[in-house]
Amino acid sequence: MTRLLPTGNVLRVLAAYCAAVLLFIIGELVHPGFASFASITSILLVASFVGLVAAGQCFVVLIGGIDLSVPWVLNAAAILMVTSSLGLDSRALYAIGLTLGMGALAGFANGAGVVWFGVPAVVMTLAMNGIMEGLALGLSGGMTCTACASYAPPVIQGAVHDVWLGVPAALWLWIAVIAVVSFVLGLTRFGRATYAIGNNARAAFLAGVNVDMTTVLLYVLSGIFSALAGILLVGFGGQASLGMGSPYLFQSIAAVVIGGVSILGGSGNYLGAAAGAVSLTALVSVLLALNMPDYGRSIIYGVVILALLLLYGREQRD
Amino acid sequence: MPSDITAHAEATQRRPRAAHMLGQNSGLILAAVILLLSIIGFAGMYWIQQGRLPGNFELTSTVNNTMPLALAALGQTMVVLTRGIDLSVGGIVDLANALAAIWLTGGVLNTIGISVVIVLIGAAAGLINGLLVGLGRLQPIVVTLATLSIFQGLAIRVLPQPGGAVPAGYTDFLVNTNEPTALIFLVIAVLGWMVLRRSRLGVGLFAIGNDEPSAIALGINAMRTKIGAYTIGGALYAVAGLFLAANATAGDATTGDSYTLTSIVAVVLGGVNLFGGRGSAVGAICGAFITTMIVNILFFAHINPLYQSFYEGLFLVVAVVVGGLIGRLVRGAR
Repeated sequence: MTRLLPTGNVLRVLAAYCAAVLLFIIGELVHPGFASFASITSILLVASFVGLVAAGQCFVVLIGGIDLSVPWVLNAAAILMVTSSLGLDSRALYAIGLTLGMGALAGFANGAGVVWFGVPAVVMTLAMNGIMEGLALGLSGGMTCTACASYAPPVIQGAVHDVWLGVPAALWLWIAVIAVVSFVLGLTRFGRATYAIGNNARAAFLAGVNVDMTTVLLYVLSGIFSALAGILLVGFGGQASLGMGSPYLFQSIAAVVIGGVSILGGSGNYLGAAAGAVSLTALVSVLLALNMPDYGRSIIYGVVILALLLLYGREQRD
Repeated sequence: MPSDITAHAEATQRRPRAAHMLGQNSGLILAAVILLLSIIGFAGMYWIQQGRLPGNFELTSTVNNTMPLALAALGQTMVVLTRGIDLSVGGIVDLANALAAIWLTGGVLNTIGISVVIVLIGAAAGLINGLLVGLGRLQPIVVTLATLSIFQGLAIRVLPQPGGAVPAGYTDFLVNTNEPTALIFLVIAVLGWMVLRRSRLGVGLFAIGNDEPSAIALGINAMRTKIGAYTIGGALYAVAGLFLAANATAGDATTGDSYTLTSIVAVVLGGVNLFGGRGSAVGAICGAFITTMIVNILFFAHINPLYQSFYEGLFLVVAVVVGGLIGRLVRGAR
């Protein structure tokens, strides 16, 4: 497990990247210009939001958990970002700190519930989603508060849209996250502990891994990544809105699964999940280019994920 | 079930029978207690606000509003007993709701026939889940997440805009607004459950939920049992969709979405163990009523409705934590 790519997963990760490339080729065929550099970077930019959420989801799925609190942690983060910064550059740093802190706190509560109170991850994160939804709606008065109409600070908007070396800045951030997360998972003690817990928590405990702390930390990271995606999304769109987090639960889990991370935990890596995010976003873009109505996209989404699962997501008989 | 028999043997050596019964049914008992407390809380709140106790009207509307959730929770219970989870509930409820709004036009025989067809479509949707989980050996959570997307898409295809209509007679039959006659359907459901519980499938549900490898070794067909659980679940979600349409007297292809989450909440509050093998229909129905009562209490406490999901989420966590603690105390710390 010291290698960046555990051997069993190389094929799955490659498959996810091949799927992404194939989708770009199909897109170019049905809609010339789809695979142009500008179009690819804009698709990758959209994929980066999914990818960031998927990083957090990947962490908790690797230990056999799941984070269903993504939609409203992300949404609450987006709202907190605009209301605390009031669109002022001078308050941007403070707002970012506050927002990431909120994400970390929500993640900590998830982890604490799972580890110390024995609440199943599905229930804990589901309840947290409700709690964040209630807080976000209640405190913002259903997005009617005066501060709610604020825009993201220009610095944040710039940080998403500005182009460095031909690539939007948010994409650089994602690339950095991919590198750091892959390094952490593949080459650090923390990463090994994560895989060990996912494979067998009891064995990991007996081998001296601090299972409780590691688990809590992984949920905290998931909360932080959801909040980070929320910040970048308001930077991307300018304003926060209700329901903006909803698509990200399905997409983050789908990206992780497409990328070959076992939903039971213990195997897979973030390179795969990142590829999953790209192929998922490319798929949506192709369907949009085909003028596919909403319901059709929803159906095809589900069918594609099932097909991929049947191809390589099957449980091994043990 | 072997594990229950051994647990029973151990327990009788140490503790009297009553204590054992209490331990085995702690989830159900806890659910009944929470339900009782929430009813008392609601009645008290109502009395403070209105100067009288809630009567027939409140009972009827509570029962009618709870019917779809109670049925969805029953379906979810089937799946959860096998150590699975069904996230496609909302999609199947949506689909049944949309089909009901389009197809139901009047005429008793016609209505019955169409209702049966819709329930069969729900069962078929559940069968797809079951085949993917049982035969395809895929993880329930991802399978049903994917099929949720598919069923939601189909529902919107059937009924792009909220609308359609449900005959008035249909509403009167399923959710009579004057008397809580809908309770009869819950009694039927519980009777059905008692039969199922003793059937081959019912025994299989509990057996594979407790210990799948042992169950298989003892000759339980795990694949068939899982397929059965998801199929029955699908049929029940479709019935929930019919009740939802009857309640609203019209269709909407998205109102069912919330039942994915609330059915899990109801099941957990009803003492059904999410790790499989423990739970009951009565518990799930109690859980559904608790969920409705919480909303009622929040309403009468004049809590800003925007905060509703905050309190629901908080209540869910507290209930699970406290329930776990009490369960451990009752079963006796080892």
